[in-house]
Formats: sequence, C-alpha cells, structure tokens
Amino acid sequence: MTEARLGCPDLGVGVGLRVPHYRHILDHRPAVDFFEIISENFMVDGGKPIYHLERVLETYRVIQHGVSLGIGGPEEPDTAYLERLKRLVDKVQPAWLSDHFCWCSADGVNLHDLLPLPYTEEAIEIVVERAKKIQDFLGVRFALENTSTYLNYTSSEMPEWEFIGRIAEQADIGLMFDVNNIYVSAYNHGFDPLEFVRNVPHERIVQIHLAGHMNVGTHIIDTHSGHVIDPVYDIYRETIAQAGAVPTLIEWDDDIPEFSLLVAEAEKARDIRSDALELKARRAAGKASATPDWPWARAIEERGPADAQLEGETHAGTVQGGWKQGGPRESESTAAE
Amino acid sequence: MGELADLQHWMARVLRTRRALAKDEHITREATERLTGNDRLRPVEQAEIYREQFWLRHTSALLEDYPGLSGVIGQGDWERLVEEYLTSHAPDSWTLRDLGNRMTEHVESCAWLPHRQLCIDMARLEWSYTELFDARDAPPLDPNKLGSIPEAAWETALIVLNPALRLLRTEYPVAELRRRLREGEASALIPDAQSQNLVLFRSRKRSLHYDVVGDGAFALLEALRDGLPLVPACERAVERAPSEAKAVEVGVGQWFQEWGRLGWIVDVDVK
Repeated sequence: MTEARLGCPDLGVGVGLRVPHYRHILDHRPAVDFFEIISENFMVDGGKPIYHLERVLETYRVIQHGVSLGIGGPEEPDTAYLERLKRLVDKVQPAWLSDHFCWCSADGVNLHDLLPLPYTEEAIEIVVERAKKIQDFLGVRFALENTSTYLNYTSSEMPEWEFIGRIAEQADIGLMFDVNNIYVSAYNHGFDPLEFVRNVPHERIVQIHLAGHMNVGTHIIDTHSGHVIDPVYDIYRETIAQAGAVPTLIEWDDDIPEFSLLVAEAEKARDIRSDALELKARRAAGKASATPDWPWARAIEERGPADAQLEGETHAGTVQGGWKQGGPRESESTAAE
Repeated sequence: MGELADLQHWMARVLRTRRALAKDEHITREATERLTGNDRLRPVEQAEIYREQFWLRHTSALLEDYPGLSGVIGQGDWERLVEEYLTSHAPDSWTLRDLGNRMTEHVESCAWLPHRQLCIDMARLEWSYTELFDARDAPPLDPNKLGSIPEAAWETALIVLNPALRLLRTEYPVAELRRRLREGEASALIPDAQSQNLVLFRSRKRSLHYDVVGDGAFALLEALRDGLPLVPACERAVERAPSEAKAVEVGVGQWFQEWGRLGWIVDVDVK
C-alpha cells in the first residue's frame, strides 16, 4: 500500500461484488484486492443478501457505492435511507463510501436514475451543504462520482470538471473518478477528456471506476457491459500519471461474464496502473512528455464524420430492459444458491 | 422555488410521459428552452433517452418480481397492466424492491383483467415472496429451552413464528402454477378454482418454499401469528375450523414438532 489519499488507503485493483459470482467467491475465495458493493442491495433486514455479505466480509476488504442518494434533488436526502445506510456502514466498516453527483427524485416520485445536475452556483451550494452533513452523519470518508450524461442543460454556467472539483473542495469530500463516464460524456457532448482529467483536484480522487459501455451511434450509453475499451484505458493511464496510485475498480453490471474474465480485466488495469506510475516518475524526471497523444480524443472533440465508428461496431436502437445502476439486485427471481 | 427545483419538477413530469416526447409539441418547445441538444440529437431527443429508460427499467423490475402474474395474463395484457400501474402508482421508494408493493390493490381495480381472482391471488403470492426474501433473520428454535419449560407454562406460552413466514389463503392453486410457469411451462393451463391454505416460508438455507396445510393447522398458525397464547390459539382454531376439531386436538403436538423442524416456530415465550 502507498500513502493514504484523504485518509483512504490504496486498496489496489478490485471488482464489483455481483450476484452471479457469489457461489464462486464463497467456494473458492479467489485473490481479489477488494470488493465494492452496491449499498442499496444490502440495505435490507436479512435473508440471502445479508448472509452473502457477511461471508464475503470474513475474507475481503469491502467498500460501499450507492446509487439512490440523489444528493442534488429538490428535497433533502431521505432520513430513513440515511439511517439504513449508516447501519450498513457500521456492519461493513468501509474505508470510504461513495454515491453520485446527481438527483434521483422529485415530487415524491423516484425515477431510479442518476439524473444530471446543471453545473450552476445554486447546485454547488446545495450539494456542498448536504455532502458535509452526510459525511459527518456517516462517520466515514464520503466521495461523489461524475456520472455519464446524455443531455446538457442551457442553465449550466461552467464545465463539469469545475463543478465537481469545487464541490469536492468546498465540502471536503473525495472524488470517485469514473474514467469511463468521462469518455461517455466527452463523446456525447464533444469535450476534451484530457481537459477534464487535468482540471480536477487530483489529491481528492479516492477511487477510480472502469467499465464498458454501448455506443448506439448518436450517443453512448453507460451500460457497464463488455470490456473496457482502449481510449478509456488511455484516460485511466493519464489519470494515474497525474494523480498517483488511486484504488481502481472494474464495474461489470450487464451481460456479467465468468468471474475469471472479470479478474482478467482487473489484472489488465493493474498492469496499466503500474505503467502509469512509471510514466509519472519519468515525467517528474523530465524524461517523458506531459501531453499524451490521443487521436480518438481529437475526433470526439471535432465531432468528425468518423467519430461514430471510433469503437468499430455500433448498436442501433435502445438498451433493452433498461440499464440498471449497479447491476442486478438479489431478489427471489435472481437469487444466488 | 429555485431554478434548479423548477428544472427538476419539469424533468420528473416529462420523463414519466408514456408517449415519445417528440410527438408532443409543447414538451418539444420546453426541451429546447431547457436543454442544449447537439449536432446529433435535438434537445427533446436527449430527454427521450432518459424517458425511454424510465419505462424499460421499471417494467423489467416488475417482470422480475411478478413472473407468475405476467405468465398468466400474457405479454399484451401484462404491458397494459404495468403501464397503468406505473401511471397510477408512481415509484416512491428509493429501492426498486418496493416497486410492486401496490400491485395487488392495482390488480383488484382492473376490471378488464382476465382471470382476475387468479391474478389477485398470484399478485398476493408474489409480493409475499418479495417480502420474505429479505425479511429479518431469526435464530432457530432452541431445543434445550423447550425441554426446560414447565408443563403448566405451556398453557400461556406465546409461540413465536419466524418473521420470514407468511400465511396466505387463496382461491386458486397459484403457488403450483407459478412453479410450473417459472420452470418454462409457458402453456401451463389456467387451473380450476380450488381454495388453498398456503404457508410461505424461508428455509434455514434461505430459499423460499411453500406448503399447503389443512384448515385446522392454518387457523392455529393464524392465531399464533396474531399473538394468542397456545391454549386460546387452539380454541380459536377449533372455532374457525370446527370440522377439524379432532385434527387440532390430536395433531397439535406433531404439528409443533414439524413446524419447529421446518423453522416456522423460532421461539417459545413463557411469561
């Protein structure tokens, strides 16, 4: 382990804990640096979810990631939700806990989505105040994640990287830095991902997410399915080269593969992380360029005619079944043995 | 109301619209005022991405929790049912687990639904399974404690049922029908009406099961669930199932052994 970031240790490279892998993990106890759970899947009274979590906690470090806080919504976060979350924190004792820069509900209706916030002074003020309270209440380092977005608001007053960086600093919280989301949003909105990486407070990045996605031509959907593509690894390499050894996690929530394939993706990320740390050292010694060359990024920014073919095959139409934040929940229909 | 809240109230309304947003001129104009769009997607098309996913996500979550109900009524009626359900019962919980918590009352209100009583029974069954799946755990019955209870104390003893147990009286054999539908018998025939007393429970291995019991045993379990001590519970069971008075009298000892073994009884509270 290397130095702690905002008190959060470098846990290495982990994977998301998902229902189809429970049996394999509990039977074989494979070597994994750490698991990330979706908090909401375990904010229940008992049964299989709690049983499986307790068995995993016997062997592994576990951190928590949430999808339902909706910190920027028109109403204050649900007190009952926070109390349940706190009980889970007490059980899991995660080194940190994260959710998203987003909102989820309004008028008493929960849309169960990570809806983008406009990048405004008003939104900063609201999220900062709530993030401070939540971090104090939970008693654990709190971090918020940049989301994939499919729309831009006319009311936005600043770029996304300024918005999230200012909130993190003013609220004294961490950043969950999802580099796949940077790629998705850069593609969808035509900005330079390198500018995003350069302009956030690197010392506040406590974790990185890597994932696959689906390109439907006109836009990319953050499905968390498939392998991490090379341009996303390029952004990852640059993030590590600028920020240092940040714990990293592979998210795979749709068309979930065999556990061995998931671990292989984590090993690939581990190798790239090592290379990037060497790059960081070479840059510090003046032996490497500080500017990466990403032809794909120029194509995104210029929105040239070839940008839809950047990743080869595109998928026309919609994401069937709806994308699910954090993968399948464990229910009577989907339960592990 | 601040600008942010105003924007969010608009989004929450628009994303629950059933029809494609671009078909609505008013919403298309509003979207142009609030969203930038880009060279590939108009503002209203950007909002449409989220609207479409709202419906797909929630209909697939309901399908996951109600495989029996959807199997009984078929795809066309199922789509109409969930569209009406989500329109009249907007998701109001942070967890999708609670999404279907008002499906039974909704099915009861759908006069157009074929096999309606069967559907009501199926909805009640499937919501019970959802509740049981993650209900509170309870330690198993301690045989040493049972052995130490004085004979006289049994008269007033409170029998504690497992929190992961539900009692359901149905007019159709829906538990068996659901099992067959889930095993892929898409053409499973709609059964004739046949009332059943179902005990739904989570086993010690945390799997969900059902058992069919007679009227006497069911009435006794209901009385115990309602918190009656043993003797008044037996009296009420006989009163409610007089034709099974003898079965209650001679069967209670054996039932208790069996219910303890199955994990239906988790404690005996001696006052």
